[in-house]
Amino acid sequence: MTHAVLDPTLAPPFPEGALPVLRNPQLRKNVAHAMDVIQAKRAKLVAEKTDWPELRSAASAIRAHALENLGYYLEQFEARCTAAGGQVHWAADATEAREIILGLLRQENATEVIKIKTMTSAEIQLNPFLQAAGVGVFETDLAEIILQLGDEEPSHIVVPALHINRGQVREIFARQMGLKDLSDAPHALTDAARTYLRQKFLTVPTAISGANFLIAETGGVAVVESEGNGRMCLTLPRTMITVAGIEKVLPRYEDLEVMLQVLARSATGERMNPYTSLWTGVTPGDGPQRFHVVLLDNGRSRMLKRPVERQTLKCIRCAACMNSCPVYRQTGGHAYGSVYPGPIGAILTPQLMQLQHAKSLPYASSLCGACYEVCPVKINIPEVLLELRAQVTDNERRQTVRFLDPLYLGLRVANLVFSRAWLFHLAQRVARIGLRLFTQKDGWIHSLPFIGAKWTQTRDLRGLPRQTFREWWTARAKEAK
Amino acid sequence: MNDSASSRQRILESIRSATAPVSSEPGSENAPDRRVLPRTYIRRGTMNRNACVERMIDRLREYEAEVAECTAEELPATIAAQLASSGKHIFVAPEGLPAAWLAPGFEWKVDRGMASEEIEQAEGAITAAFCGVADSGTIVLHHSPTEGRRALTLLPDRHLCILRASQVVETLPEYFDRCQQTPMLATFISGPSATADIEMTRIKGVHGPRFLAVILVQDEIEEAQSGAKAS
Repeated sequence: MTHAVLDPTLAPPFPEGALPVLRNPQLRKNVAHAMDVIQAKRAKLVAEKTDWPELRSAASAIRAHALENLGYYLEQFEARCTAAGGQVHWAADATEAREIILGLLRQENATEVIKIKTMTSAEIQLNPFLQAAGVGVFETDLAEIILQLGDEEPSHIVVPALHINRGQVREIFARQMGLKDLSDAPHALTDAARTYLRQKFLTVPTAISGANFLIAETGGVAVVESEGNGRMCLTLPRTMITVAGIEKVLPRYEDLEVMLQVLARSATGERMNPYTSLWTGVTPGDGPQRFHVVLLDNGRSRMLKRPVERQTLKCIRCAACMNSCPVYRQTGGHAYGSVYPGPIGAILTPQLMQLQHAKSLPYASSLCGACYEVCPVKINIPEVLLELRAQVTDNERRQTVRFLDPLYLGLRVANLVFSRAWLFHLAQRVARIGLRLFTQKDGWIHSLPFIGAKWTQTRDLRGLPRQTFREWWTARAKEAK
Repeated sequence: MNDSASSRQRILESIRSATAPVSSEPGSENAPDRRVLPRTYIRRGTMNRNACVERMIDRLREYEAEVAECTAEELPATIAAQLASSGKHIFVAPEGLPAAWLAPGFEWKVDRGMASEEIEQAEGAITAAFCGVADSGTIVLHHSPTEGRRALTLLPDRHLCILRASQVVETLPEYFDRCQQTPMLATFISGPSATADIEMTRIKGVHGPRFLAVILVQDEIEEAQSGAKAS
């Protein structure tokens, strides 16, 4: 398998990135299976919730409100967290965030660190940076262990190893943990991970986490998980470092009554995920006695400027959009060339990065709207996709190199032809004569030469009729006389 | 920390310039008005106490938790029976737990700042809880002296949780209504530790306790007969 590249500055454009999965039947089967299971579970549990539309409206409004007043709530979070014994750091971009985290680890003389799954740390490419600086990084979420030991990249934000099946997991664990007789039964694989990490949990004194929510009112942080690896990392080490995007803030503790109800149902199709932890600064005698929060901007404040793009930041990372997306289902996550795949990735990545690094992503969608329908915070993803497409086109149009680009050349010619009736009629006649050469007896064009082949490689084209509508209309009028 | 301080200023300025309403003057920011937020979802349940407790038990069993019911008088005996059926001997308990709950015949370690390694040696933990949410079968711990430090209900392989019927609410918003003070620490537990990371198959017990047992203590029988509470 070719190694996926999840750095938008280096990744190939989406249509190219999608090819490895499209050519690999096993991979497509793994992805489709996972999508079927999650979607069915979600649909069942959403249907049993009679107030789902009201919960969605409330969740959407709370997130929009938090973003509209983001400055106020972030400062409130900072003040309350600091009062409770935490230390808050601000990072304008990925480089700053990595440096802050490494600086904190150096203060602790940390040679090893245990991690709870955090997509934000993947966004800033923290693991390779820490490893290069000589810090041993141990992922503790089962899927993240599979990826780390198998030297794989995440393909989903909630179940990042869904593209790897049990046989492949067995192979990775047997090789990396030295367990020759390991079976491929999921419980055996899970037990192997439990044993592998127990000692690390008890001995490594420093942990890194992300955050699902920051609570402005209390300065608290909430992490949502299933396995208990999160609780281990939040409870046993001496020092905890949490890295969180600035958009993660919720005004009040009670806002969780909405967010927790919609998050688990949307993400994993459960009424509630097994564990949710909330902690506030430092609690004497319980858990880490040193606590740091790194608030990461990395392009987010720029996205607040316009309401259409701002809604992207309402996202609570449930992944329901990718689970329901007909495009993601076929291509899997690696095609998106970013740690954020699927419909949300298609709008988030181009905005976090410079648009030119991810300009194929706004087109990685059929605009069917399934993502909007399932989104628990009502992000109108198709609307944002269209806005980004417009921006891509506007940027390209201004570039002089585009003058001879076949697409833009074609569009200019079309503009000329369509705006002059005589030219349009002439073009119709020429095309009819020209295409007759390629039209088969069944009335279809199965293959065209040169640039036309780009169309006929994957689809047939109906041959032009002998008479256009206008010609028929004129002839009919003449006959009537 | 100079860098972080200047980044702080830059980020906040960038946020404020992006979100400020055109009309408002800089520095005139007041506490945001949250009253406009729609809260039309179901806040209070409609089930009576008995039905609510039944729902809680059903949900817990769906998570493959063991559930026993008893009256307040029967509690010590029920705890002893539950511990005996586990076949284990070494248990940890938080410092504030009633002495009557520490059933004789087992080795009890009472947590007075035990090291993690020591807690890890125990085969199970027994604690009280703050609240139970029937709708999702969720137990909420606020880690008071009867609920124990967080490590207690994490490292041992079994967690026996004592939940009073009067602590069970139907909906999640009702739990938040019961929080007179916002907790500094809270853990929401919905079934034993689990994962679905391998082929979306839910497997019990990765890192947290693999076995969750709950004893529901019927402590408000009178109220149960009075039917559903008006909201």
